Amino acid sequence: MHELSLALEICRLTEEQVGHDALGRVVTVAVEVGDDAGVDPSNLEFCLEVLLAEPPFVGATPRLLRLPGDDLRLSYLEVDDGRPDD
Amino acid sequence: MAVRTIDVREKVMARNNEIAQTVRERLRQAGIPAFNLVSSPGSGKTLLLEHTLAAVGEELGIAVVAGDCQTQNDADRLARHTDRLVQAVITGGACHLDARQVSEALDALDLEQTRLLFIENVGNLVCPASWDLGETAKIVVFSVTEGEDKPLKYPKMFQNARWAVLNKIDLLPYVPFDVDRARANARAINPDLQFFYTSALTGEGLDEWLGFLREQVPAARPA
Repeated sequence: MHELSLALEICRLTEEQVGHDALGRVVTVAVEVGDDAGVDPSNLEFCLEVLLAEPPFVGATPRLLRLPGDDLRLSYLEVDDGRPDD
Repeated sequence: MAVRTIDVREKVMARNNEIAQTVRERLRQAGIPAFNLVSSPGSGKTLLLEHTLAAVGEELGIAVVAGDCQTQNDADRLARHTDRLVQAVITGGACHLDARQVSEALDALDLEQTRLLFIENVGNLVCPASWDLGETAKIVVFSVTEGEDKPLKYPKMFQNARWAVLNKIDLLPYVPFDVDRARANARAINPDLQFFYTSALTGEGLDEWLGFLREQVPAARPA
């Protein structure tokens, strides 16, 4: 029911991690969703897809990781660091 | 492209929880127990609070933060029973109160004059269970016009509550509601849940509820 506000908070935490200017280089936003977190994973994924498709993001993909328990965490971020492939 | 991975593992609710801890500490220092009243819409939270304010609002120095999705109706109803200390929070459609809203509401209240705080949450048994507001405890209100299986349908709320108020008991002769089954369902989720049985309409059962509130209020404010 409140997945959009959670998705917005996940975007804010992402910005806190990488800084506003790097948000366009975020490739993946991975979120741990506990089975008892009171969150509908598909709804959260949809909200994240919508937000991550819009500037300042440039098509980052949400990745939801289902876990037991009631935690909801921003797990990790994948960021294109701008260097060519090694 | 070369992709770098940043490990974060930060709780999405971390900021809310930080603010909630600040609220909790502020209330603790002021010696004010705070009850977060949660329920589905229409279970009688506001009427219960109206009776409570009328009966012991002055005696116990009760303040209320009244949350509503839209309108200030509940806060206006409550303000008729006390000439002070009702602060409305209109969430603008959001399904729950969060700690920041409560923190800002506290700024508008006279905590010096407050000995007991009620936070009347938005009527919703789902989302308010997930938001810590810095309260002492959650009290879940449900009524006999709802199903006995409410605790099973909304386990997180009943798990997180310390007390339950079963309201509208004046309607028991008219509705097929099994009190024992409702209580058993609730205690299957939370064995420590303590019950009150009230009719906020007729006043039945309110003496026990008011007695409980009197016990919660510290005899004297800390110096």
